[in-house]
Amino acid sequence: MTPQTLTPAVARRDTTAKSRVALVRPKKPLRWITTTAVAAAVVGLHAVAIEGTDFKPELLVDGWKGMAAFIGDAFPPDLSWEKTIRPGLEATLVTLWIGLLGTTLSVPFALLLAALAAENTSPHRLVYQVARSVLSFFRAVPDIVFALIFVTAVGLGPFAGVLALICHNTGVMGKLWAESMEEIDAGPQEALRTAGANRIQQVANATLPMVVPQFVGLLLYRFDVNVRSSLVLGLVGAGGIGLLINQSIKSFQFDSMLTHILIVLVLIIVVDQFSAWIRRRLAA
Amino acid sequence: MLLSVQGLRKSFSGRTVLQGVDFSVAAGELVAFLGANGSGKSTTLRCVMGITAPDSGSISIDGAALDSLQGRELQQARQRMAMIFQKIHLVPRRTALDNVCAGALARIPTARSLTPMLFPADVQQEALDCLDRVGLADRAFDRVGRLSGGQQQRVAVARALCQRADVVLADEPVSALDPHAAEQVMALLRELAHSEGLAVAAVLHQPDLALRYADRSIGLLQGSMTFDLPSTEVTAQHLDTLYAPDRNIAA
Repeated sequence: MTPQTLTPAVARRDTTAKSRVALVRPKKPLRWITTTAVAAAVVGLHAVAIEGTDFKPELLVDGWKGMAAFIGDAFPPDLSWEKTIRPGLEATLVTLWIGLLGTTLSVPFALLLAALAAENTSPHRLVYQVARSVLSFFRAVPDIVFALIFVTAVGLGPFAGVLALICHNTGVMGKLWAESMEEIDAGPQEALRTAGANRIQQVANATLPMVVPQFVGLLLYRFDVNVRSSLVLGLVGAGGIGLLINQSIKSFQFDSMLTHILIVLVLIIVVDQFSAWIRRRLAA
Repeated sequence: MLLSVQGLRKSFSGRTVLQGVDFSVAAGELVAFLGANGSGKSTTLRCVMGITAPDSGSISIDGAALDSLQGRELQQARQRMAMIFQKIHLVPRRTALDNVCAGALARIPTARSLTPMLFPADVQQEALDCLDRVGLADRAFDRVGRLSGGQQQRVAVARALCQRADVVLADEPVSALDPHAAEQVMALLRELAHSEGLAVAAVLHQPDLALRYADRSIGLLQGSMTFDLPSTEVTAQHLDTLYAPDRNIAA
């Protein structure tokens, strides 16, 4: 069947090889107008933004001496073990623990809300909308605001930081997980539905096992982000190395501040390498 | 007749896809559906399976019309039908055994089906027996993603067996497989029909496979049946009319 239909086509291509098809791009006359309009709009927005943020580079040039004095005071970093390094390392561990608990303890909440807020796993349209709204709320309130709220309940300290991260991370991770569930191949879930499995069984035995690699990748990414967030939370009294940095700035001990920042740098690199290592192993 | 379908009609937003399809499949019989792209083969199976709701028509399992049943009885009747998909639709990260167990989910309480570790022991044993019937008992604890395409499709067949289905609807079960694996899967479906008395209906894209493996072949052309004959009586003429639409598009 196929040889007969193929031969004439091949023959025709051979004989007409010299008279080639002319390359004519279809003209789009309005394109340059659109491009110019978009460019003008972007430039205009930047002009307004520069005005709105008091963006004046000359201030930076004039004020370089203040900055140089500040940085000069920080050098050399204070390397005394008892006064700076030991408290710094201890506080860094606290920062790490805040980030860790803030991530892991939000897993159950994020998982539940993600399953309710993904179109392919949500039991009902109304539940879907409510879950989406709850996630949006937790995501919209910055973790630092949650920290300030919890400080009024449980007092200053790392516990308030953990609670703040749990709340904010539930919102972000729930949203990221819901999206990765929606992107997953719907086939296995449909197969189980035709086999008579109920909704919970479909999610537990098709959807969730399909998204495990994406979930773990996103979890590690959030751990990375949360460790860095917990530094900032330290600034508002949630403990950890952020608190020490804040204290050393307020007491003009810039050399201690620099030491603490260097410790933070090491922490960030270690966490980053660790999560990259896990993700590599997961992909293999 | 184990599966009997009458007057199946379906149109999608004004376009008629099925205009009255009648057929039946007996226990122990492998029936192939042939037809050009868009002839309604897959829609027929999806309507029978209940994935797509037909506009009209009646479907009976073992003499009981589905639209006369309700609630639990309807559910039980539907579970006698299992579907095999072109894209296989297993969970690649789970083992063959766990995927086959999932065919039995309708019999497992929800609390015991949250993770494979909780699956009842008798279900796991039955799943292993089903894998044995498709010749893959030795791969039970391999991840499905590590199996070849042909092996994966056989695991999907085992999942249908674990569902205790006696009607198996296969939607292009071998289109994604290499020729050797395609032969293996077709041989398995015929074997299950002949030796275990399953009623198997398979949509196929390759007429030669259909004529060699199916007991009966049904031709669909633009939503209507053009023939329903023992495979030995299907002629080149029959096939020529059937695939005319595909040739017109190509020309």
